[in-house]
Amino acid sequence: MKGYWDIFSKGLVLENPIFVLALSLCPALAVTTSVVNALTMGLTVTFVISMNNLIVSIVRNWVNPKVRVPIYITSIATIVTVAELLLKAFAPLLYKQLGIYLSLVVVFAIILARAEVFASKNRPLPSFIDGFGMGAGFTLAMLIVGVIRELFGNGTILGYTVLGSWYPPALIFIMAPGAFILIGYLVGAWNIWSQRIEKAKGERGETI
Amino acid sequence: MTAEHNDNNNSILKIALNLACACIISGIIIGLVYYFTADIAKQKQLELQNLALQSIVQGADKYTPIPGKPGCYTATKGDQLIAYIIPAESKGYAGAVKLLVAVGPDNKIIKYSIIDSKETPGLGDKAAQPQFADQFAGKTGADMMVNKDGGPIQAISGATITSRAVTRAVKNAVDEAAIIAKGGK
Repeated sequence: MKGYWDIFSKGLVLENPIFVLALSLCPALAVTTSVVNALTMGLTVTFVISMNNLIVSIVRNWVNPKVRVPIYITSIATIVTVAELLLKAFAPLLYKQLGIYLSLVVVFAIILARAEVFASKNRPLPSFIDGFGMGAGFTLAMLIVGVIRELFGNGTILGYTVLGSWYPPALIFIMAPGAFILIGYLVGAWNIWSQRIEKAKGERGETI
Repeated sequence: MTAEHNDNNNSILKIALNLACACIISGIIIGLVYYFTADIAKQKQLELQNLALQSIVQGADKYTPIPGKPGCYTATKGDQLIAYIIPAESKGYAGAVKLLVAVGPDNKIIKYSIIDSKETPGLGDKAAQPQFADQFAGKTGADMMVNKDGGPIQAISGATITSRAVTRAVKNAVDEAAIIAKGGK
């Protein structure tokens, strides 16, 4: 059980997709202008990455290594298209909100990276958990960026006014350059924090 | 060399077949899902459209498409005409902004709703919020100018281009409604 927890939790902090692996930054910048958008995107990615890891892991013995990348992309595209069709039929309102995110998910580097690095070499269950952990880490990072950008850029969180009318919203946070600057600082902070964790572990005599 | 090449797992034919199989399986899955969901999706789409019409003109009991004007509707209650519903489109900050505008028989704006836009989240997409949208109620086509251009519409701060796009689209819809109204309907 501890093994599975380790697989899951490494996506949260030590191998966080945004702050450590620095993958999928571009869409992350595009949709973190508000907390709702960030959360929606995070959950969508979590779903697709877990499902894709599961499928890639199941078929890993039949895939020819020379065409593995096109096959992974086909798999991701199939999952996304099927999800789109199902949503369109059974939850059209949700589809309307998710539409743009779903099509973006196909080209997420982090999903392809996990298929290549983890799922193609591991059994289905650990692969699924790896995907889920990475998705959770991604969602966490998106939430952090989203909360800061919405708070400082608009004075609200989840649409509720937090900073009153005395606060002039800093538009830079809503725009893309602000997101770059913010993520830069967050990556720095993340590095300091995870180094501390490693150091504390070392001092307690745990293996790193 | 050739014989060895053929035995090799990496022969071009095997690679191509491998990828082809993956694509065929994926195609079959998508095809099946589409086959079973297409009708339901179409029906839901219609329901959603009706819902959009209802949300923009309250109190009407019938929506009739206007012949010769695709996407335009008249909303009536009993025999009385309540509003024209006109789709409008205009170029915003990031691509087209598509609206549905309800115009009263007196050629005054009742309401609009944004159907589709790619405006900057947090800035331009505020055009859908009541603080901005409510300004339009009761205005005429001639009022359709933002304050920067000398009109009565208070533009969204930081999103003047979007504000202009919305006012322009609404103005077009009002003009269109005037033409339809004169057309003897």
